[in-house]
Amino acid sequence: MATREFKLPDVGEGLTEAEIVGWLVEEGDAVTEDQPVAEAETDKAVVEVPSPVDGTVKEIRAEAGEVVPVGEVIIVFETEGGEAAEEPETGRPEPEAAAGAAEEVPGGGTEEVSTPEGRVFAAPSARRLARELGVDIAEVEGSGPGGRVGEADVRAHAEGAGEAEASQAPEPEAERGGSAAGRASDDGAGAGGADVSAPAASAVEVAERDRTLAAPATRRLAEERGVDLNAVPTDEERDGRPFVAPEQVVAYAEAQEEAQAADAAAIGAAPAGVSPERYEAAEDERVPYRGIRRTIGAQMARSKYTAPHVTHHDEVDVTELVAVRSELKEVAAERGVSLTYMPFVIRAVVAALREFPYLNSTLDEEAEEIVLRKDYNVGVAVATDAGLMVPVIRNADRKGMLRLSSELSDLVEKARERTISREEMQGGTFTITNFGAIGGEYATPIINYPETAILGLGAIKKKPRVVESDASGAHRENGTAVSGEVVPRYVMTLSLSIDHRVIDGAQAAAFTNRVMEYLEDPSLLLLE
Amino acid sequence: MVVGDIATGTEVLVVGAGPGGYVAAIRAAQLGLDTTLVERDAYGGTCLNYGCIPSKALVTASDVAYAAREAEEMGIHADPAVDMKGMVSWKDGVVDQLTGGVEKLCKANGVNLVEGTAEFADERKVRVAHDGEGQGSESIEFEHAIISTGSRPVQIPNFEFDGEYVLSSRHALALDTLPESLVVVGAGYIGMELGTVFAKLGTDVTVVEMLDSALPGYEDDVARIVRSRAEDLGIEFHFGEAAKDWERSGDGITVRTEDGEGTVSEFGAEKVLVAVGRSPVTDTLNLEAAGVETDERGFVPTDDRARTNVEHVYAVGDVAGEPMLAHKAMKEGQVAAEVIAGEPSALDYQSVPAAVFTDPEIGTVGMTEAEAEEAGFEPVVGQMPMRASGRALTMNEGDGFVRIVADGPSGFVLGAQIVAPEASELVAELTLAIEMGATLEDVAATIHVHPTLSEAVMEAAENAQGHAIHTLNR
Repeated sequence: MATREFKLPDVGEGLTEAEIVGWLVEEGDAVTEDQPVAEAETDKAVVEVPSPVDGTVKEIRAEAGEVVPVGEVIIVFETEGGEAAEEPETGRPEPEAAAGAAEEVPGGGTEEVSTPEGRVFAAPSARRLARELGVDIAEVEGSGPGGRVGEADVRAHAEGAGEAEASQAPEPEAERGGSAAGRASDDGAGAGGADVSAPAASAVEVAERDRTLAAPATRRLAEERGVDLNAVPTDEERDGRPFVAPEQVVAYAEAQEEAQAADAAAIGAAPAGVSPERYEAAEDERVPYRGIRRTIGAQMARSKYTAPHVTHHDEVDVTELVAVRSELKEVAAERGVSLTYMPFVIRAVVAALREFPYLNSTLDEEAEEIVLRKDYNVGVAVATDAGLMVPVIRNADRKGMLRLSSELSDLVEKARERTISREEMQGGTFTITNFGAIGGEYATPIINYPETAILGLGAIKKKPRVVESDASGAHRENGTAVSGEVVPRYVMTLSLSIDHRVIDGAQAAAFTNRVMEYLEDPSLLLLE
Repeated sequence: MVVGDIATGTEVLVVGAGPGGYVAAIRAAQLGLDTTLVERDAYGGTCLNYGCIPSKALVTASDVAYAAREAEEMGIHADPAVDMKGMVSWKDGVVDQLTGGVEKLCKANGVNLVEGTAEFADERKVRVAHDGEGQGSESIEFEHAIISTGSRPVQIPNFEFDGEYVLSSRHALALDTLPESLVVVGAGYIGMELGTVFAKLGTDVTVVEMLDSALPGYEDDVARIVRSRAEDLGIEFHFGEAAKDWERSGDGITVRTEDGEGTVSEFGAEKVLVAVGRSPVTDTLNLEAAGVETDERGFVPTDDRARTNVEHVYAVGDVAGEPMLAHKAMKEGQVAAEVIAGEPSALDYQSVPAAVFTDPEIGTVGMTEAEAEEAGFEPVVGQMPMRASGRALTMNEGDGFVRIVADGPSGFVLGAQIVAPEASELVAELTLAIEMGATLEDVAATIHVHPTLSEAVMEAAENAQGHAIHTLNR
């Protein structure tokens, strides 16, 4: 008799792990070669795992429901015959450390390469600088290829440590590349928002590709159009490597040109299609990318590349809210409080969050759990001279309109004066950003990671609206309104970005609808 | 202690003027510290006097003799006569020039040189005994001490070094006549290097090794190439046999070995060279007086700043532990001096390259594939056989390969194993790659001169990426 350990084989498509859905045999069972012994689920399909030998099941090492890395022993067979049969190598062996540490990111492209403990890739000069600056080089995030730490990274880390790591702010401004036409997102529910954000996201994502397969003609085309082949989005693969076709190059080049034209128009400077470097003149100013700006940047990038963003857009008729607020404003003013729309929005959002708890959650990637937060701590993004800050109103669900209003103005002032403490910007569960205050209708807010959703507010503008019904009389203008009549109404636009890993488009839409109901008819907030 | 003995004082006392010690002393003096260097034997230590330099001088000389004799394939017919005395005297000239250089450099940098054997009297003082009758001794008080006393060849029972029949590596490098036959005990790098030298000069060499392969510690395919070339040179190998004893017989000696089953074999030869390893010289220092601890093998444990368990005492080089390599010692010496001077220095190298000057040479750095895997990487490996290297073939040296180990996902170079002519030089490029965090692509995309051996490094990197031109990709 001999024993034969059986490792979870390579389940294909480069997957490194699979869930054992269930066992089809028990310990002591006799099995024959190729008899299915277990069912394993990858993210694509459930596959049967066949026995490699004739024999009996000696030991089952993995439990049903367990996620097992490829290469780990899942079952031990007892076989007839003299020597312990060596299992032929199936798939690549999984190094223990890597299996434990690697965080798989769906989609692959931005997967972080985990470096075994104690090993930091950095040049000796960078190491020396780290020692000089008293920096533990193991804590420095490298910006070089594969995460290599350079001297600039060490300096930035040393400087960053001193300054407030404060801001965890989302960036509400419209994405560059938002105008770029690209391949449509395959997300139906995300509709417009997803479409707009997709090229930007994928362009950045694929920019990290280090090799791209393409025909020589395609390479020439890319060169002619001034396009980096590694940056062209593609889903196609050849031999397991990304493959780019000529059409994709053309589409990407056009999108780039369009985006550059938009940029150029926006800054009213360089003509379209010309790289800004060429126009860098003697009087150009270089502003150090440091401190809060850099922290914001890092946080934005982390959020954008970690959480797959989908933005859901809608517009809401807030004529009633405008009226209510202008009435209450005077009352509030008498109590020394300046009432803005924000407290109403916070109340509406909190009410909707109660109904849609996944929008008030975080994703614990390590534990593989979605954490539904029971507090309603609403962050409000504030533009300050130093950059975006997000003060957090704690327990917003337990605070009245005036309290919200005064607390908010308090925090905003502190943020602008930079006297706000770190604690006052931590612990948020959901964020609201008001890009409309400056002007603008739609944008793709970046989620204040690790939160899973952020609501962007556009400007309230008077717009023509088709009023379908006046049953409540609320929509009556000048005493009468006929169904289907176009009347001027106050309209606010909403842009809700969600972490698509946690929240689906349909849920995002339902949540937005609920917020809209409250904003359309603020009297409903009285019930909350 | 002599009554009335007045101690002199120094800020930094360095004991031992080998590569670790003299570098530490020069660097400390450069950094403005009052430095005293004590040496009992010869400046430059084992490396310059009895190790690296003399052995490499003889490697080169024997290569010349061998190449001339074996060049008929290239149409050259020669019958070189080896004048061992002349060769050794040339070698001594090289050694003298270098050791003289070290002494001059020390003096020029303001290092106080003291000749004698140092022994700790307490935590802040050593006594230095001067050689020779009536030469006396002196005491030196120090603020910081750097121990760099190096290592000595290990002796085995029944084989006391006598310099006549039983040779240490040191003796072997000083022979003034070429032995007709030589038994080498130990197939480690010293035994293999010296065995090759003597075989090339015309000595009949027999190697006996207790383990079952040559160059233990190196990967099988690396060791195999070197061993098979050694066999081509006429070296006879006997593995799994431990040296038991020896006796005079006729003009020479008979060396007896014993295998695991107790079978005894006899080998007649003119001399026997025992090269079974080296042990640290820490037993002459009276380290207990200073409170410095050693481990069970006699090494002084140190941290990444070369500090021992006693705050102001440092240890560098062979005494500080494996690998016993001069270049590691030099780095440690430099770091110790800088740390004493208050500089933010540390031993934070990623890898220590090593070379064996056999035929072909071996150059290794960083991790092997198995080590990389064990460390949690997902290694990829690229290899370039020397038989595909134009330059190697024009040198009539087609054995060996360049192998690069890298991390698959990131491409970072993690290690290299090179068996090739000039492997000791070729390994430098990959050492730099490892220290710089360079990737396979960086190495592959760097243009290398054609036709050179270093092209093989580029090719191996390309091979690891699956797009080598001159070899079939794995």
